[in-house]
Formats: sequence, C-alpha cells, structure tokens
Amino acid sequence: MNNNKGNTERKIKSSSKKLNSNVLQPVKSWLSRNIFNRTAIIIKKTFQDVFSFKKTIIILILGVIVPLIFILLPTSIDFGLISPSHAATIIGFALIFPAFFWTLGLVFTIIIGTSGAPLIAEEVKSGTMLLLVSKPISRIKIFIGKYIAVYLYGMLLSFFSIFVIGWLGVFVKSGNIDHFFSLIPFLTALYIYSLFILFLFTSITMAFSSIFKKARSASILIIFIAILSYIAFLLIRTLTGPFYATFQLYHFDLGYHLGNVFILFIETLNAVPPSISWQTTFAIITGVYSMESSIDPDQNINLGGLEKTNYYLPVVSLLLWILIAALLLVFGMWSLKKREISV
Amino acid sequence: MIKIDSKTNLEIWSEELTKIYGKKKEAVAAVSKIDLRMKPGIHGFLGPNGAGKTTTINMLVGAISITEGAAKIREKKAGTVAAKQLIGFLPQDPVFYEDMTGEKYLIYMGQLGGLQKKEARLKAQQLLDFFDLFKARNREIGTYSGGMKQKVGIAASLIHDPKVLILDEPTANLDPMGRADVVQKIKELSKRVSVFVSSHILSEIEQMCEDVTMIDNGKIVISDSISNIKRSFISNLYFLDTNMNETLVDQLKDKDFISKAWCDDLDGKIHIIPEDADKLRDLLPQMLLENKAKLYEFHRPELSLQDIFMEIMMKERGNN
Repeated sequence: MNNNKGNTERKIKSSSKKLNSNVLQPVKSWLSRNIFNRTAIIIKKTFQDVFSFKKTIIILILGVIVPLIFILLPTSIDFGLISPSHAATIIGFALIFPAFFWTLGLVFTIIIGTSGAPLIAEEVKSGTMLLLVSKPISRIKIFIGKYIAVYLYGMLLSFFSIFVIGWLGVFVKSGNIDHFFSLIPFLTALYIYSLFILFLFTSITMAFSSIFKKARSASILIIFIAILSYIAFLLIRTLTGPFYATFQLYHFDLGYHLGNVFILFIETLNAVPPSISWQTTFAIITGVYSMESSIDPDQNINLGGLEKTNYYLPVVSLLLWILIAALLLVFGMWSLKKREISV
Repeated sequence: MIKIDSKTNLEIWSEELTKIYGKKKEAVAAVSKIDLRMKPGIHGFLGPNGAGKTTTINMLVGAISITEGAAKIREKKAGTVAAKQLIGFLPQDPVFYEDMTGEKYLIYMGQLGGLQKKEARLKAQQLLDFFDLFKARNREIGTYSGGMKQKVGIAASLIHDPKVLILDEPTANLDPMGRADVVQKIKELSKRVSVFVSSHILSEIEQMCEDVTMIDNGKIVISDSISNIKRSFISNLYFLDTNMNETLVDQLKDKDFISKAWCDDLDGKIHIIPEDADKLRDLLPQMLLENKAKLYEFHRPELSLQDIFMEIMMKERGNN
C-alpha cells in the first residue's frame, strides 16, 4: 500500500517536473525574456534616475508645509473630550483643502511634470536614446517602462506625503494615535484621488516629453497647466461671475473637474462629512459647490453643507479625464514610435 | 557595383533606400535610392562628411523612418525588433549614461538585448576583458578617455551576440593610438561577426575591409571589392613628370590612343589614361627628345583608396 502511494507520489512529482520543464519553463523563460525583462529593466533604470533620497525629502517637506500651517491654526476644541471619529472629522476639515490644492495639487503635479519631462526629451536630445532604440526593444516598451517608473515614483511620493500629513494632523492636534486610525478613510480617499491625478499628469508629462525637443519646454507647459487648473480658472470663475455658467466655461475648467472627482472620492468613502466651512473653500477654488445651502426638497431641512453646482456628474468628470489621460498615454506612445531619433 | 539578385546570404540589403527631409518645395533628399548588398565579412561605407552615411545607417538601425524603398537585415525588415536583435550598433559620437560604471552599463544594455542578469554580467566581463577595460569596469563612464568610451560602445553593441555590427565612424575623434587600437579590435571581431563600418578615414577602411560602398550627395558612386576597384583604376592611369608638363600634356591630348590626359592640380604631374598603353610607352621617348624635356618620373602608380576616392568624387562632381 505504502509502496503504491510512494509510486503515485513519484509519478505526480515526475509529471509535474516534466510539465515544469516541458511547458512552464519555456513559457516562463519567454515571458521573462520578452515581456517582463526588458520593460522591467527600463522601469528600474528610470526609477533610479528619477528617485533621489535628498530630492524626495525636500519634496515631502514642500508638500507638507502648507497642510502643516492649516493644522497649526488654533481651534477651541479639546481633543481629549471628543470621540476619535469626531477628532478625525476636525482634522479632516483642516486638511481637506491644503491636501487637494497644495500637496496633491500644485506641488504634486509640478513635481511629476518636472521629473518626467526630461525622460524622453532629454534622452533624445543628449543622444542616449539613439543607443536605446537601436537595441532589440520596441519603442512602446521603452515608453511604458518610463511611464510606469514615473507612476511608481508618484505613488511613493503621494503615499508618504499623505501619511505624513495625516500623522502630523493627529500629532499636532490631538496627540492620540487612535485618532489616526479614524482618519484612515480620509487618507484612503486622498490616496485614491492621487492615483487618478497621477494617471492624468503622468500621461500629460510623458506625452509632452515624447513630442518636445527640449525637456524645459515640456516642463514649463506642465507647470502652466497646473497653474491654469488650480489658480487661473479660479480668477476666471470669479471675474466672469454668472457668465461662467452661461457660456459653459466649466467644460474647459480642469480645476473644476479635478475638484469634482476629489469630492466624489471624499463622498464615496464618507471621508469627511459635509460642512459649510470646507465646502465654501471648494466653492471658491473649484466651483464644485454653489454658495447656497444644501436643502432637502421634501422635508425642507438644511443638510449641513452647500449645494453642488452639478455642471457635470462627478462620475462623468472622472471617466472623461481617465479617457483623456488614456488617450494622451496612447498619443505619447505613438509620438515616440514615430519620432526621428538622431543626434 | 556588385549585382546580387537574391537577398539570401546578404547581411544587409536595401533597395532604392531614400530619406527625404522636409515637404514639397523644401524637400531635401539626404539619401537617394541606395541599393546596398552586404555579404558576410567586413564592409566599408565611405563618403565625405554630409554624404548621407549616418542617415543611411540610422535608417538601417530603425532610429529614423525610411521615406521610400526598403532595407533588410538578414531578411528581417530594418527597424523591427527582430532585425534589431540581429544588429549591434555604435553611433557616431555615442553618448552614454556618464554616471554608470562600464560594467553596469554593459549589463543594462545586455538585459535590454534580452539577456538574464547573470548572463549579461558574464558577457559584460568577457567583453571588458577583450577590450582591455576590465580594470576600469567599476569606474564611471564619464571618467573614461575617448578611446575607452568608443570601446565600451562597441562592447555594448556586441553584448547581445548580434550577427551584424554597424559602426558609424568608430575612429572619429580618436588620437592615432586610440584609432589603431579600435581598428585592431574591429579586425579581430570581424572573424566572428560581420561588420558594416562607415568612415571618412580611407586608410583605415583599406586596412579593415574587403568590400566597400562609396556614397556622395546621398547616392552610391561605387560599390565593389577594394581589389576590383584598385585593379580597374591601376590598369588605366599613368603618371608622367617632366620639366615641360604643360607642353607635353597638350601634345598628349591630341593623340588618338590617349583617352584622357591632364595636369593634376594637387601633384602638378601629368595624369594619363591611355587607350593603348604600349603605344604610349613607344612614343614617349621620342616626344621627350623632340621637346628636349627632362624626365623625372613615369610609372603606373599603386593607387590608394584615398586617391581613387578623390578621383571618383572629382569625376562625379564634375559630371554634376
């Protein structure tokens, strides 16, 4: 009986070995050589080029400084007397605007733009790309490798920025670690939003890097787009008043769409409850809210926040900009594929 | 020009390969209808600066698009990943990641060529050893001399075991020692891999190559083996030098057995291409006596590739 069992085990082992050597090994080897290896090599090299410890620390400090100022604004609340969820709400109120506008807004987009812009443009200009494209790797893989490296770097930056501002919020305001756990839905909403904005700005950056001859021109244009989104449209919205809605300027207002998507994630994850205090800021900066209180039409009760402008359904804003980012990604790949590379 | 109808057994093949920059009225043909036929071995690609050598090579390696015509590397369409797997390429004035060490750079290039890291490291060390760079393997490329950089560039082109090496001006910008070193390495390499090498330094090409293709103004002017080219030129050209070159050249031009005679601007001697060389030899003593001319020199020169190249280029440009 035991002998039979041993034979069967041996047979299974030998057939699994055969399967491994006859079928899986060549497949693994092929995948490793053709799909993962070369793109992974580009990702690794690009990540090393983009990442520097010193630079990352400086970016983190820069990204955290404005939220820290908001956190340091005095409140009359005694955090020792309130529940963790209430404390998280108060901290969320303080952080929601600077996190959107500064950490994941101006700083994040400009850093992604300036880090990613040289990756293709500069390599083409300096001549290193000529050697790269002569190697047996498709240009699309080169593009994807560089794209993923920038995306991973952005993921890392946003993770640590969000973690640090969350932790600082708790440390400065209450000093109670339990409050940090209550803040997790808010931090998760921020992180998911950062993945979206990262997708959009990495696509813009890499597309520009593919088409521009000078990395500096690509970087300047990305900084321009970031400033246009977060600051210029705020002025346009304020100056045009009712004409903004009449002439449907919100179609072109990236700041509005970003705010709309941001609020979508905040609402979906119940990250921060509605409140006139922070929604007023978003009304001014993004135009997602109007200045009127949100009223339940059936019961005529004030819902504790501001009415949304609803120019676009938040999901439509999200899908629209995901589609634009995807198109830019494809455009970037196509541009590099067609680009004439010579020194 | 070598005429081979079949594309098989050719390392590089192109048919009417053309590159046009600009559109409509501003269009300029950098390369025009080039037919390359490179057999296994070492093939020189010659031409003055701006002749279209680099443009042609960049089309072959897939760095720039082909406007018209076609090119293949061992029957694989140029520019495709399959074709690039077969080639190793060193561009003119290569630019490296200066902050990488020689070994890391080669490993990186090997991995891009499809090698596993272990294989790439082993191959990198073998190549560093072959190119006498093993001791400098852990130094950043930015600290290498011009010759060392050129050798690391050739090593990088070889790391994934290509079948055809395409080297664009590999000795340009090197000092004489560095040039000799690189030429020696290329000659050694040509025993195991075919080499397509462009240069405007013809003496080096003469040392290395069996076959050459010369281009000028984006067009092929001649493509053959060096021995055939030399044979065809040496059989026709005579140098004559006397104290009365101007008088004698006029008399020679009138003879029916002379197809061409001229006083060369560079050396001042009479260059003669006779239809009947025996008649020239018979008549020459009599001509010298009649003109009371002193003979300094009369011989059939052993032409260098440089001389032939100059002759061809001058003729081409004269015709144009």
